[in-house]
Amino acid sequence: MWEFIARSLEASTIFTVAALGELIDQRSGILNVGIEGVMLFGATFGFIAAQSTDSYLLGFLVGIAIGSLLGLLHGFFSVTLGADQVVVGMGIWIFGFGLTTYIGNPYTGPLGMERVPPIFGLSPFFYLGIVLAAVSWFTLSKTNLGLRIRSVGENPSVAEVSGINVTRTRYLCVTIGGMLGGLAGAIYSLFYNPVWNYNFLMGWGFIALALVFFSMWNPWVLLGGSLLFGTLWQLSLNPQLVLPGLLSRYIWRTIPFAVTIGVLLIISTAWFRRRWGAAKPEALGEPYVKE
Amino acid sequence: MQAGLLDGVQYGDTVLEARGITKRFPGVVANDHIDFEIRAGEIHAILGENGAGKTTLMNILFGLLQPDEGELYIGGKRVEFRSPLDAIDLGIGMVHQNRKLVSAHTVIENIILGRPRAGTVLNLKRAEEEVNELCERYGFKIDLRAKVWQLSEGEKQIAEILKALYRGAKVLILDEPTSALAPPQTKNLLASIQAMASDELAIVPFITHKLPIVLEISDRVTVLRRGKVTARLETQDATEESLARQMVGREVIFRVESTKVETGKRILQVENLSTRSDKGFLALKGVSFSIREGEIFGIAGISGNGQHELAEVLAGLRKAEEGQVILEGQDITHSSSLERWRMGVGYIPSERVDVGSIGDFSLVENVAMNFYFDDDFSGPGIVNYGDIRQLTEELISEYDVAAPSPDTKAKNLSGGNLQKIILARVLARKPRLVIANLPTQGLDVGATEFVRNKLVEAKEAKAGVLLISEDLDEVLSLSDRVAPIYEGKFMGIIPGDVAKLEQVGAMMAGLRLEGNIIEETGDT
Amino acid sequence: MRIGGCQLKLEQRVTLAGWEAALMSILAIVFALFLFGFVFILDDVDPLSAYQEIFSFAFANPYGLPLTINRFIFLLLCTFAFIIPFKAGLWNIGMAGQLYAGALAAFGALFAFGGKELPSPDLSPGIVIPLMLMAAALGGAGVGAIAGFLKGKYNINEIVVTMMLNFIAFWLVAYMIKEGGPFMNPGGRGESFELPSSVYAPLVMDVPFTIFLVLGIAVLLYFLFAKSKIGYQIKAHGHNPAAARYAGISTFKIPLWVFVVGGGLAGLAGYHYFAAVPGVYKIARNYGFFGDLAFYGIICGLISLGNPLAAIPVTLLFGGLSIGGRFVQGKLNMGFGLDYALLGVLMITLVAFQFFYRYKLVLSPSKGSYW
Repeated sequence: MWEFIARSLEASTIFTVAALGELIDQRSGILNVGIEGVMLFGATFGFIAAQSTDSYLLGFLVGIAIGSLLGLLHGFFSVTLGADQVVVGMGIWIFGFGLTTYIGNPYTGPLGMERVPPIFGLSPFFYLGIVLAAVSWFTLSKTNLGLRIRSVGENPSVAEVSGINVTRTRYLCVTIGGMLGGLAGAIYSLFYNPVWNYNFLMGWGFIALALVFFSMWNPWVLLGGSLLFGTLWQLSLNPQLVLPGLLSRYIWRTIPFAVTIGVLLIISTAWFRRRWGAAKPEALGEPYVKE
Repeated sequence: MQAGLLDGVQYGDTVLEARGITKRFPGVVANDHIDFEIRAGEIHAILGENGAGKTTLMNILFGLLQPDEGELYIGGKRVEFRSPLDAIDLGIGMVHQNRKLVSAHTVIENIILGRPRAGTVLNLKRAEEEVNELCERYGFKIDLRAKVWQLSEGEKQIAEILKALYRGAKVLILDEPTSALAPPQTKNLLASIQAMASDELAIVPFITHKLPIVLEISDRVTVLRRGKVTARLETQDATEESLARQMVGREVIFRVESTKVETGKRILQVENLSTRSDKGFLALKGVSFSIREGEIFGIAGISGNGQHELAEVLAGLRKAEEGQVILEGQDITHSSSLERWRMGVGYIPSERVDVGSIGDFSLVENVAMNFYFDDDFSGPGIVNYGDIRQLTEELISEYDVAAPSPDTKAKNLSGGNLQKIILARVLARKPRLVIANLPTQGLDVGATEFVRNKLVEAKEAKAGVLLISEDLDEVLSLSDRVAPIYEGKFMGIIPGDVAKLEQVGAMMAGLRLEGNIIEETGDT
Repeated sequence: MRIGGCQLKLEQRVTLAGWEAALMSILAIVFALFLFGFVFILDDVDPLSAYQEIFSFAFANPYGLPLTINRFIFLLLCTFAFIIPFKAGLWNIGMAGQLYAGALAAFGALFAFGGKELPSPDLSPGIVIPLMLMAAALGGAGVGAIAGFLKGKYNINEIVVTMMLNFIAFWLVAYMIKEGGPFMNPGGRGESFELPSSVYAPLVMDVPFTIFLVLGIAVLLYFLFAKSKIGYQIKAHGHNPAAARYAGISTFKIPLWVFVVGGGLAGLAGYHYFAAVPGVYKIARNYGFFGDLAFYGIICGLISLGNPLAAIPVTLLFGGLSIGGRFVQGKLNMGFGLDYALLGVLMITLVAFQFFYRYKLVLSPSKGSYW
């Protein structure tokens, strides 16, 4: 059972880190639906770097770096060129999905390195996830920078006339968002499941995206949501731990996805939406063109 | 940029000067060698119609646009604004008409936004103390912890003024300062403006229509017409008529006369209608009225008092919470908007670009918005684009829409022409009930007159017209009956010919004049 | 930017003529293929000869061409499944799930007729094939309807929902065909039971009849968008939902309609690949690969700018590229996933080219030259 809880927390960490990146993106008004692509890139390049240098540090750094590059690419298309952010996000996802399948293929197989040691029996990244959530919450709600980010996401033209550089703020956020996405991918491929396989992520990025909607853009709620989904994911892999013998294991695999839809349905009810509507960054997904 | 050019200015010093400001846009010279100056402690109004170049000049003074020619001087020093930040740093503050506030944030968050002095970690308490001091000094009342979307238009304006003052503005540009205010609030604002001026602030109100306000508060006036300065005078030498002449370039008729038409049977009857706003609170609280054939029923009110929701409920775009809507004897309370179009409701929405038209569609396809379902313009499952094209061509020439062809995209039309095509399209259905929501907002004098005349024509053709407007002159001159609306309730219903401007203005601000109300029940 | 006496600058397009859009799309494809050339170079393969191999296998080889045509039919259906919601401003990335559902439903219909029994029963194709087709369309439509309903009724993000449905359908197929599932091949190879030869789809010159179906649908869709009321309503909803609502267009019915029809077409794609392509005739073990292929539908839909007729040459080209890519990958000993890499490069190039649909480069004699 302890093993199950520990694994659940490891899984939830990946959701936390990826979704926090997306949350920061969205708070600045940028929607990145291609977070799965960013994660795939981070996971694949992190895996390759770690395996070829035998260094976890380099693996994670490369994962973060490639994530930040993709964040910048997303920023270039959606902030500078003002492209449709959904198109760009889809592009980054399919780009990641297609290219990493090809690039990672020669590395198919286990990582073959000693596991990152746990701290107090838990994944060190679990603590990292909590720290990141706390820092994000504090920065967004209590600091001047956070106020700027939120303003840019709510109403960029107001931010602009208040003397805030919308472009720079958004670039900052997409870069951080990309870094966290890449890190989340690297945590997956270097720690959670250190085996490279074609399209191994199977929807983690999209669940993270749903988590951000669910969190009402609050990092603490997001952390809770990640724990829920991490547990659910782990449960779907090991149903025998809780309900042995019930349903096929394939049916269990559908559960996290079905629950995601269910959660989205709940937050779309009138009661929820009244609160959710107020929390949603108003300029989310809209390119900003200077007047 | 060196900040502090305006430190220690004295009363009467020239603080801001613009020389030969010229700005061209494709096909139009928006500002043509404009000279303008303002002194500390002075209120210097800039007057001009929509399209006279006011907005461009304002944006140049605030650094949102850069002039093609001409120079700006602050405290006698030549400056160039690359962005609003430069203007703010040099002591220029701007109060925008389309409020530049983040509506999801609190008032205090908006005030300190972009202000480094607030600290890396925000110190809201200190900021609140400082802002409260400003409020006391100039007589502003506002809850700093309230979210902006909860505020009235007047309070939002106060928030903007406070924001500018908090950032150390010495020159305050006010865009249409009284346009969204009811008369009592206007009085308060004017008092505050005068208090600020006596503190050596230079104040520049930009005004389109409200000539009496100009005469009441300003020291000097600069009049713009078609991008040029047509007059520059001391206010004491000006009269309403002389200003209007300078502004329009011809004698103006202040009131569009509405003809009296024999009213016929009841077209619309509304009983105790309530509905919620997008935010979920009750925006319209039980209104009852009726409209007859050949009648214009005017609703006067500051925006945000439920009139928008009323229009949408009647058009079938919003659910009624309570009450009944009866169109020519049929209960349409729960009918869809398509059913209402078919039954003869014609809705002219206030959001021309976002709701009334589809920018990427051609004019033919835009006209089709009201005809794709019409049996005269469609077959089984098929839209007869040929017939609609012919109709579009007719409408373009009848309504004098400046468009190269019916295939022009709607987004390439000016505001006035877009409104004409929307109006044309709706009226071409020969609706029994016309709902016109802010039909002339933001239009120039010519287009405004045109739209008003078309509404009168619709009334003469025995339609019932519901006119929603913030412009008191418009409501009073066009309407047969007027209902001032305040916080979702009618403050009474008054016949247009006895309605007085002051009286309706007071009712719009929430005063219920019991004695003068002609209740709906008495109207048979 | 200044070039000699001329000024190169960006201008926003006021209109985009049809030929300009077509030119832009062709340029995007050419540029992507150019970029993709570097993948070959990195693998020490001459890109020109690689492309020659790809195209000659895909379009001029007696083995390759039928593969290309079958993939073309499949991709075109997936493209339509994307285009129809896209015209309404909605993103269907659930073609994979819809086509799995279509395949399951088609095999379910067959199952109901005893198609799994051995020895293979002699079924009447005139009854069973239409029923399989119908079941496939309904299966796909059913999955699509979930996304359309949730979007129209509750405004739930359709991207997340369709993606989640992909995974749900993916595992449902696994459940049905693996580890003792109802449709499992009696041979136990982790794939579905095989189609009885009596209900193989009729072939016309070695091509399944589905090609006529899909070309007919293309023409039908073209007229739908150009002339019909529903087409008008879909386009209005796509450009401006608020304005569409104002014009009396239901913001519930339109999302539902486009996802039901789009999903139905994706379901037909499922029928086509698993029940009509010669040599397959079962839900194969690697069915996930066909789900991945469906994402080509997004690219084809975007490049053809939602025009159902323009989608025909585009999908034919991409079908050929993916078949040819798989072929050279084996022939030139390149790594697995070359066709995936192509998918990625095409997509990101296309995103970059979106910019030129809105802006154009103008070369004009510079004004105010200093010399």
